[in-house]
Amino acid sequence: MIVGDLSRREIERRLAGTGLVVRFGPFHLRIRSDLASLSSLVHRLYQPYPLPETGEITDFHVGISRPRGLRRWLRRQACFTVDGQSPFAPYAAEHAFPALEWGINWCVATRAHHLLMLHSAGVERHGRAMLFPASPGDGKSTLCTALIHSGWRLMSDEFGLLRPEDGMLLPLPRLIPLKNESIEVIRRFRPEAIVGPSFLATRKGTVAHVRPPADSIARMQETARPRWFVFPRWIANAPLSLEPLPKSQAFLMIATNAFNYEVLDETAFRLVADLVRRCDSYSLVYSDLDQAISALDDLSNDVDD
Amino acid sequence: MIALTRAGHELSWQKWDDVFIVYQPSSAETHVFNETTALILRGLEQSAKSLDELREFTASELGIATEDLDADDLAFAMARIEELGLIERLDDVVAGQ
Repeated sequence: MIVGDLSRREIERRLAGTGLVVRFGPFHLRIRSDLASLSSLVHRLYQPYPLPETGEITDFHVGISRPRGLRRWLRRQACFTVDGQSPFAPYAAEHAFPALEWGINWCVATRAHHLLMLHSAGVERHGRAMLFPASPGDGKSTLCTALIHSGWRLMSDEFGLLRPEDGMLLPLPRLIPLKNESIEVIRRFRPEAIVGPSFLATRKGTVAHVRPPADSIARMQETARPRWFVFPRWIANAPLSLEPLPKSQAFLMIATNAFNYEVLDETAFRLVADLVRRCDSYSLVYSDLDQAISALDDLSNDVDD
Repeated sequence: MIALTRAGHELSWQKWDDVFIVYQPSSAETHVFNETTALILRGLEQSAKSLDELREFTASELGIATEDLDADDLAFAMARIEELGLIERLDDVVAGQ
């Protein structure tokens, strides 16, 4: 069963009651909310995500609801909660949905320490994964969104989740939050992409969420072996450049990019070293999405392993 | 005499390009060492050495004459790995006992 099998009214009932339980990659989330406006967005944007079987363990209990006490009468606000605690200041009520999405990412980043977590987008083709570790503003989400609408499968836009036992990349194909100019770039690049409403003046500027293609969500339990690391950087009007990176530099860039390298100690060192040994690493500078996609397609077609 | 500490014996090494990336379990830190620093540690891994022996070993491994090994480079590398707790001066240890 998927979220889309539920009516909007049923979603609203579950959110306001015991919670709507949804599977995102390796995690089960129970989401609760008393905000009526949330159900239509959940209905539309979470539509292809599976509902776990009854009785399965829930990893995160999250909520986005009106604040308690006097505050709820002073201003229309929404509080994100996890396990009943509010780790962040309240958001404007109209930003409840992006707040929920950020909050879920925060839960993963601060708790999933059984995995090495890179701040990285990832896509897959023919069983091989290409990872895009990057800093905010480097254009990883835009590039990732363009790729998954051009024949690649989405592994994740935000997290490169690597399993220490075997180095495999675990999919976490959640919504992709595009920001500011990227929203129109993608609407023009792939008009068929499903993009949610634009939330204006959030803490990260204007944000709109892209729903991953149904195939990426349907295959969210299919792991892939990392094969390439590509460090992207979008620069206006820059000519395309895809240059190999020395392994020593790739190691340092990946290790410093990980959310929890220090937490995992020697396990992280060995895992990153193994990844760098097995993967080819590149630096990508781009301004044109078609050119970038063509170069990355060529890269993946050239592989002979 | 100079010797590796226990922490110096526990290092995990990766060599890529012209640098060595080294994990130190005792501090959970990852370091980047150049070849001179790596050779000092490798030399001490074999046995404790005097400063002159260490200079000779390092120069020989680098394929240069001992007098061509920059004394400042050696001193800098030694200071760094001593600060990281990877080497110790046995004379100091004995004097402290």
